[in-house]
Amino acid sequence: MVPTEYYIVLSAALFVIGAAGVLTRRSAILMFLSIELMLNAGNVALAAFARQWSSAGMQTALSGQSAVFIVLAIAAAEVAIGLGILVAIFRHRASTEVDELSEVRY
Amino acid sequence: MVAFVILAILTLAGALGVVLLREPVHAALSLVGTLLSIAVIYVTLDAHFLAAIQVIVYTGAIVVLFLFVVMLLNVRSEAAIVRFRWLPPTVIGVVVVAAGVITATALIDPQQLPAPEVITSALGGGGPAQIGESLFTDYVLAFQLVGIMLLTGIIGAVSLVQRKPAAGGEL
Repeated sequence: MVPTEYYIVLSAALFVIGAAGVLTRRSAILMFLSIELMLNAGNVALAAFARQWSSAGMQTALSGQSAVFIVLAIAAAEVAIGLGILVAIFRHRASTEVDELSEVRY
Repeated sequence: MVAFVILAILTLAGALGVVLLREPVHAALSLVGTLLSIAVIYVTLDAHFLAAIQVIVYTGAIVVLFLFVVMLLNVRSEAAIVRFRWLPPTVIGVVVVAAGVITATALIDPQQLPAPEVITSALGGGGPAQIGESLFTDYVLAFQLVGIMLLTGIIGAVSLVQRKPAAGGEL
């Protein structure tokens, strides 16, 4: 059995890569992809902790997996809304570069 | 341990592809690789139902949505460059050989499915029944809130994307 720490390290690495993507990408679509990476990093950590708890014989061993389920639903809703906003912006501006979308900055 | 290392390398390579590749379509397909590796990681964590849901929801729905929007928005007029002429015949050959091998092994060595108890114990507590019990008892409020949120999301997405009808015109 692979120790839980290894999964946490993998999750942290995924989260850092996703965060770097959000900070460096210019296109909003690619920022969304990186956000998906970060959500998945959190999910991996939750599933790893769920296995840790169930191997420790805790009563609420499946809390982590239930949380992953809810995060998945949230990710789906977030993607639908976010891409809808992107399509709406693209109709007005013919661009999804976040640097150009600065009307509401001040 | 070996499996975990391979999966971790695949996951991180896909993640780096998402962050570094220039073409949005390539980045989205790289994300598919990461998400499938994470589904297998869920299997190694005894979360079999989550693995199935990960494949269905993430790679089946979310990434397809991404690809639709990428192709809707980034309309490139450049001609398609055919770089991998050898790829389609190779893929077809590999698929045909794999299907033949699977069929042959199934015909040579037919086996009964194991008993339901064996399958349940092999699933190790992460099956749909256990998750459902947890979701519908301890977390039923969160579950219902997620339902409301999804409904709001559907309405919001439709109203955002819908074109306004022309003045006086019918929808």
